[in-house]
Amino acid sequence: MTGVDRISPDVLDLDLQDAEVERHLSRTWGTSPGFWGAIATVDHKVIARRYIATAFVFLILGGLLALAMRLQLARPESRLIDPDRYNQIFTMHGTNMMFLFAVPVMGAMAIYLVPLMVGTRNVAFPRLNAFSYWIFLIGGSLLWLSFALDAAPDVGWFAYVPLSGPQYSPGKRTDLWAQMITFTEVSALAIAIEVVVTVFKQRAPGMSLDRIPVLVWAMVVMSFQVIMAMPSIMFASTTLILDRLVGTQFYNPAEGGDALLWQHLFWFFGHPEVYIIFLPAVGMVSSMLPTFVGRPIFGYLALVMALITTGILSFGLWVHHMFVVGLPRMGESFFTASSMAIAVPAGIQIFCWLATLWLGRPVFRVPLLFIIGFIVTFVMGGMTGVMVASVPFDTQVHDTYFVVAHFHYVLVGGAVFPLLGAIYYWFPKMTGRMMSETLGRWAFGLIFVGFHLTFFPMHILGLQGMPRRIYTYQPELPWSGLNLFISISSLILALGFLVFFVDVLRSWRHGLPAGPNPWGASTLEWATPSPPPPYNFLRIPVVQDRNPLRPEDKELPVAAGLRVDRRELLVTSVVEALPEARESSPQNSIWPFWAALATSFMLVWSIFSPWAVVWGAIPVAVALIAWFWPKGTPEDEA
Amino acid sequence: MVGPVQRSVRLISAYAACAAAIGLAAGIGWMREPRQYRTDPAVSHDLENFRLMKNGIGGAPPDVYFALGKPYETTAYDLSQGKRLYSWFGCAACHGTGEGGKGPSFIDGWWLYGPSMVSIVASIRDGRPHGMPAFRDRMTTDEIGQLAGYIKALGAYAATNSAPSRNDDKHSRPAENRAPAAALFEQGPVPMHPDQGPSP
Repeated sequence: MTGVDRISPDVLDLDLQDAEVERHLSRTWGTSPGFWGAIATVDHKVIARRYIATAFVFLILGGLLALAMRLQLARPESRLIDPDRYNQIFTMHGTNMMFLFAVPVMGAMAIYLVPLMVGTRNVAFPRLNAFSYWIFLIGGSLLWLSFALDAAPDVGWFAYVPLSGPQYSPGKRTDLWAQMITFTEVSALAIAIEVVVTVFKQRAPGMSLDRIPVLVWAMVVMSFQVIMAMPSIMFASTTLILDRLVGTQFYNPAEGGDALLWQHLFWFFGHPEVYIIFLPAVGMVSSMLPTFVGRPIFGYLALVMALITTGILSFGLWVHHMFVVGLPRMGESFFTASSMAIAVPAGIQIFCWLATLWLGRPVFRVPLLFIIGFIVTFVMGGMTGVMVASVPFDTQVHDTYFVVAHFHYVLVGGAVFPLLGAIYYWFPKMTGRMMSETLGRWAFGLIFVGFHLTFFPMHILGLQGMPRRIYTYQPELPWSGLNLFISISSLILALGFLVFFVDVLRSWRHGLPAGPNPWGASTLEWATPSPPPPYNFLRIPVVQDRNPLRPEDKELPVAAGLRVDRRELLVTSVVEALPEARESSPQNSIWPFWAALATSFMLVWSIFSPWAVVWGAIPVAVALIAWFWPKGTPEDEA
Repeated sequence: MVGPVQRSVRLISAYAACAAAIGLAAGIGWMREPRQYRTDPAVSHDLENFRLMKNGIGGAPPDVYFALGKPYETTAYDLSQGKRLYSWFGCAACHGTGEGGKGPSFIDGWWLYGPSMVSIVASIRDGRPHGMPAFRDRMTTDEIGQLAGYIKALGAYAATNSAPSRNDDKHSRPAENRAPAAALFEQGPVPMHPDQGPSP
């Protein structure tokens, strides 16, 4: 009889062989089988996978809406979609892509990758993480359900008052939009808090601030942006519902409210939002690039400083969305200058990547193709960005297809291309299987060509004066040729995405086995099997270098002394990452799910009656009490 | 190996999932809230054919109105259109914001010709004695229905979810989505009934 089956209060991994540590850790950190086990899990990898899959489902739905719009605009005076439905469609497309795809998918990548990259066993506040996913899922479903009910918002993705106010937007359409915002705000804020705490307090020993992978830096900056930007939109959406439901006067100029307040609040969130989407992509590119050029990233310090600078500057340019509103000239000049200034850190990043490519030996695998596609497309979007940063030019093209072209270049070029590259790159880690190189090249080619053929002509349409958000146009206007061309090109783009999704589904089942480190990468997530076990690392790694997995080292130094009979992880200091304490990590729990249901019940009800906030708070309180009630598990010990 | 019990459990859950999906689809179909921007001319013609009682109070709305689901009284879009028409056609000149003036109040719960949709439509369309003009030639059937639905909602004892909210104006009274109207709102300088006009 060995000491294995004896449950002593402190089973430390110091005393055990690898096989026994593995057996203990699997039991301690595992997800129980069955439906309720799946609902209760707080494993960051499982939750992140769900998040990513859900966000991509929303991407498909939003893409189908885009195709519907292109079908309608393919010829003048088309009667396929009536104006009311068209308003709902473009509002749904923008809202869905921003709030239900881009932000959540970036947060989800952070939730998956950050704990692995910093060498810890789970994200900080794992139950909050589970709660965040359920809230996101319910909020997204709510929006799409409203579309199915023909009650989807129809006021544009930024829902300007007074159009979205009580007088001009009857029914519950705008309320559903505003409450969906609340759902996604809550889930994004939860992720942001988790990421910040994970990165600052749970890094592997020795991973001092100057050894953090750029992706992790990017996720930290993104999280701080979320923490500072989201309260603004939360205030905006809540006051909008109050105006509409109980007759407050926040946005009613006749009673001392201010319609312009909405625009300030929205864009104080809305502009950082663009960088909330873009910075994680910068991090992904910077973390993938060294693997494919065979050298470390050029200018690590400059890149990190550029990330932080972008994060701070992004809060100083929101007014450039409002140049035609009629603001004081001085203010407009200031925001022109700041909008142009943000091109400087963006330029630094681009040059660092170019230098990395120049100095290394690029191997043109699919992720690198997407990175190059990203650099080309994003630079073009950045150029038009500098153009619209100038007030006279912006006045000319405001609310035209030029702006549509610009922000699709920035968002698709700047975030979706790196994201698709990142999926190709980290898919082996998430599933243990490689994606197809052939299909990947097809997908990249079709998406890149389809994207540029679809969106480049929109610049020209915009300069020819075609306004945004119109559901049709007259045959006398010189727009029909280009519109037909764009509509046909959008099919190429859609085909590219189809190939991508086919590749994902095919590789999920039948891809070649990947092994722990198929790309020969140097960051910590590749130091564990693919897919990673529930506890991430058998033993917590010790980091001595910015690139912990150097090919010349055969073994990774590890730290020991953690308990294996309860969920425990290592807390380290903020700057040097010196070990400070052993901290317990919460067990699986069903209560985040019930809390999310109770919260959703309250939020949806509050669209119809202000009393929901009072009575709906009771189930929320019950669920939270049950959530935090000590269950007598070893994790409850100090 | 899959045992017979597990197989039947799977079969039952598959059937349950199908039934749930069909139920959800049916629910969505039932609850859809489309907006009608232009009434079919034939429907519009039928909507004209309501029967009013001899004394001008109450009557029978046309069947087509029920087939449509009583849109003017229930959908938020029609009610809010009614609210606009109320100001565009100058109803406020005599009726104020509902509390009345030269004309009778809409929020005191006292309806000279009864609270039914048919009599309100008839009042707007054909006019009434003592100063209520006929709007037959100035508004479409659809607009008359929308305005009548809104006026009915003005004096509601229980607010509905589809009732309009406040306008971006100065406020003299709480919005229509607050009720009961008679208890909450200033009813005007003088009690208007029952001697505010000729009893029918």
